[in-house]
Amino acid sequence: MRADRLAAIASTLVLLALWQAAVWFADAQGRAPAPLGIVAATASHLADGSLRAALGDSFLRVAKGFVIAMAIGLPLGTAMGMVPALARAVAPFLDGLRAIAPIAWIPIAVLWLGVRGDAAVFIVTYAAVLPLALQAFQAVRLIDRRLIQASQALGGGWALTLWAVILPGSIPVIITAMRVAMGFAWGAIVAAELAVGTKIGPGQGSQGIGQMMIETLYVKRDVDTLAMCMLCVGLVSLTIDAGARVLGRKMAPWTH
Amino acid sequence: MREGLLPRILPPVGFAGIVLGAWYAVARQLANKELLPPPWSVGVALVDLLGNGDMVEDIVASLGHLGLGYGIGAGVGLGLAVFCARFPAFETAVDPLIEILRPIGAIAWIPFAILIFGIGGKVPVFLIAYGASFPIFVATLAGMRGVDRALLMAGQALGASRRMLVTHVVFPAALPHVLAGARLSLGVAWSAMVAAELTGSDSGLGWRLFWYQEFFRMDRVMAVIVMIGVLGVLADLALRGVRHAMVGWSPEGHDAR
Repeated sequence: MRADRLAAIASTLVLLALWQAAVWFADAQGRAPAPLGIVAATASHLADGSLRAALGDSFLRVAKGFVIAMAIGLPLGTAMGMVPALARAVAPFLDGLRAIAPIAWIPIAVLWLGVRGDAAVFIVTYAAVLPLALQAFQAVRLIDRRLIQASQALGGGWALTLWAVILPGSIPVIITAMRVAMGFAWGAIVAAELAVGTKIGPGQGSQGIGQMMIETLYVKRDVDTLAMCMLCVGLVSLTIDAGARVLGRKMAPWTH
Repeated sequence: MREGLLPRILPPVGFAGIVLGAWYAVARQLANKELLPPPWSVGVALVDLLGNGDMVEDIVASLGHLGLGYGIGAGVGLGLAVFCARFPAFETAVDPLIEILRPIGAIAWIPFAILIFGIGGKVPVFLIAYGASFPIFVATLAGMRGVDRALLMAGQALGASRRMLVTHVVFPAALPHVLAGARLSLGVAWSAMVAAELTGSDSGLGWRLFWYQEFFRMDRVMAVIVMIGVLGVLADLALRGVRHAMVGWSPEGHDAR
């Protein structure tokens, strides 16, 4: 094991011990989260299955929204890359939409789709579709023009050029875009579930990790569980990131 | 290749026309007009709210949250990065903590922030500061680490003191990265602001969204959404202008697009 790895583990352990000791000495168990409390909360929520159910619900919604976003964003971005007039028409519009935080749409989404979870799916789709479209557009523009010209000179029509040159050429950028968009989507689902949860009260809206946090905050007042939820949110982000990197190596091995 | 004015502005204007036309057509067909207020009524609501000062108040509150939170977040991110670059031992100590906190987005802190600060203006400020600190920290550290060795050796060979190397070589070389990080930070800060105001504040544009929703004034909800977008674009343009003016010489000073 390398020395800096060892130092990192040591400093983490020291931090955890200091944290636990601070909570003990301040006699603040139950008011401030502590490492041992978080471990206990995790164990009990794993045992009764509620943590898995909440994370599963949130993740299912992210997956739904993300698939919709891919189905809209990737063809749109690719078309923008191939037809400059379309890009000039749509790109400023997409840039403007990007400046609107996805969560700002929640009142409209709730009005149209209801609080049971579809509103959250809408927010996820919105958060993911803009980076996907803009990056797919970018990906096509980064392809070497000579490859496209060669394909055309050799008699390839636009369909063949799209299939044989543009799609494979844009895969590396699109994989990166998927990683970024998936991160956005996960942040958006937590925000949407929190926003829906705070406004309609616990226990009636979508079940998910955000909803679980709101219930923990307003009903149970359990800081250890709250900290556990936050760590879970972070862990899922890390997992998404690592998964997308593996996918990138599998699908575009020539870039590594 | 320079094109005429008409081919450049016709597509976006035409597309905007199509979007507005489709919006109007759908809004006309709906039996329940409140589901989608037509474009002109959103425009009227926007002018109305700006005219009577309600929205001005919200904008001032939001920009106040943003300014304070962003200032704190950027300051902490910058300071930590400089510290980490100067003292490697310090970085070894804080790196695990940062790596644990970084994937936990600002949004996940909302319930905790409400618990600590209560509903009010401190929640958005805390969230903005938290969210904004990471991108600028990462970018600054990378910028200071990535300084060309040849430049440092040239400076040393020409007799520069350690302090001069830092102020005349390291800082200028890192500046493009810092400003690129600042722009990322602003994007994160902007959505953290809206989310935090929506859930844990009693002022600002995000808070107004739910306020108008409770009164079922969808035209006003849309007007606030439009204003959030307009301000977001303006803030981004301002930061781009700063980058262009300060680090236009560097390839890092421009965006790909």
